[in-house]
Amino acid sequence: MPEAIFHVQDVHKHFNGVHAAAGVALSVEKGEFRAVIGPNGAGKSTLFNIISGFVVPDRGRITFEGRDITGQPPHRLFHNGISRTFQITSILAELTVLENVQVALLSRHRRTFDLLRRAATAYLDKSHTLLEIVGLKGLDAMQAGTLSHGDQKRLELAVAMTNEPRLLLLDEPTAGMAARERIESIGVVHRIARQHGLTVIFTEHDMQVVFAVADRISVLHQGRILTEGRPEDVRNNREVQEIYLGEQIDAHGCFQSRSL
Amino acid sequence: MIMRNWFIPLALAVLLLLPPLLSDFRIFILIQIIAFALYAVSFNLLLGYGGMLAFGYATFFGLGAYAFGILLVKVGAGVVISMVAAPFVAAAAGALIAYFCIRLSGIYFGMLTFAFQMLAYSTFLKSYDFAGGDGGLRGLVIPGLLGTPKGIYYFALTVVTLCLFLLWRIVQSPFGIVLRAQRNNERKSLAIGINVDFHKWSAFVISSFFAGVAGVFWAIANQSVFPDWLDWRASAVPIVMTILGGTTSFAGPILGAAIYVILQTVMTGFTEYWALFMGCLILVIVMLMPQGVIHLFERRHHA
Repeated sequence: MPEAIFHVQDVHKHFNGVHAAAGVALSVEKGEFRAVIGPNGAGKSTLFNIISGFVVPDRGRITFEGRDITGQPPHRLFHNGISRTFQITSILAELTVLENVQVALLSRHRRTFDLLRRAATAYLDKSHTLLEIVGLKGLDAMQAGTLSHGDQKRLELAVAMTNEPRLLLLDEPTAGMAARERIESIGVVHRIARQHGLTVIFTEHDMQVVFAVADRISVLHQGRILTEGRPEDVRNNREVQEIYLGEQIDAHGCFQSRSL
Repeated sequence: MIMRNWFIPLALAVLLLLPPLLSDFRIFILIQIIAFALYAVSFNLLLGYGGMLAFGYATFFGLGAYAFGILLVKVGAGVVISMVAAPFVAAAAGALIAYFCIRLSGIYFGMLTFAFQMLAYSTFLKSYDFAGGDGGLRGLVIPGLLGTPKGIYYFALTVVTLCLFLLWRIVQSPFGIVLRAQRNNERKSLAIGINVDFHKWSAFVISSFFAGVAGVFWAIANQSVFPDWLDWRASAVPIVMTILGGTTSFAGPILGAAIYVILQTVMTGFTEYWALFMGCLILVIVMLMPQGVIHLFERRHHA
């Protein structure tokens, strides 16, 4: 059995009286594709921002590969092998597609203080390889902000892979996509993650997406983990069905949100 | 390329060959353009590339000038040491001030740089022993050929050209791309491992160093330093030059400096209300060409 490389222990966070994380505990194994689900307001975003360093928890401990990374700022986590994407696609819109990847590679190799070398020719091969992996070959010179939404998501993935992440955090990777695009899109991510042996934690609203790719699912409810397990166990869990009350359950036993 | 390939050699050739044909007054105006061009480009490293509007930017220009003046006439450190050390004094001040300012963003950042400028202004205005008080420092004379108008001109042209070349390389370097990245999207920059605050701080230090160089040459040209250069009104100068020329290209602020200095000189000859006319003109230019005058000549954005 593979080792668990990522642990969240008893993490708490209050926001103006709201207990957004109320003792979250989570362990993720190497190479795993882990979904974190939960109804709106369950604390998914908070948990995600805590483990990616954008929010400092009030209490608790986060360890990665045996090292305590609690409260480390995002830029430090990147250099420690953790990458993230954002729910609202986050790219450097004013820069070109190529520059988006180059700047991340320059950062990864700690070359951002080269004051007199030209950036334009830096890491061209590596950049092209990454762009090809995500299917953006030939779009180098496009201004990133002018890409289609789907292509921006691909670019974000390419950028997230620049540090050869040993843990990849995807916040709502299919947000803003039409229903039919979602499975295809997460499929691309899943295939790339498998090929590169990445460990992935992702949050997701669309249960079809979750059940299509997740190895294990953690269900977050009111700031803590309600249950965790293989997709079929979670699907049949009475408590999970209760908190998702009001959502349809289709013939395959998948939850389908009506609101989407 | 920042402009067409022939433009830079041509401009340099004209600037090299022109002075023998000009009066000392016109040479003085050219020196002002050269010094202010560096001043404006340094300022734009923060504004155009880094997205930081430092309202109190005259601090570093003024401190460069004062450091040079004090070292030369009060300390007696000699011309060379005074000249070399002054920009480092400006950079050290930049390092200290930026340490407090870069944590803030937008208007708060700007206002805090402004507060430090007031501090510097009142300090130099009141130090009679050290900085000549409200009369400033006079008699900053460089001996020999280098101290003549043409000597100062060629010296300034050489050093400023070198500084502009370095700045040009910096904005195209990995550091330059990082500056644009954090201006574009700070959260994303953090997520790709960039220590945004540290890079902003470094840009501030580099920028204040070059503003200090510009201040030194302005002091040499005037053979004096005045506390007015640290006054809050002085901080409008780099802002006006940069916005006039255009913040989105490297050459914009250079053009802006030339336009500003020439207009000021010409209009001062006609009317004491030159600032009024300058104000109206800037209004018109900003309305008609929000990207700056440089966009009449080039379309290219940043590097």
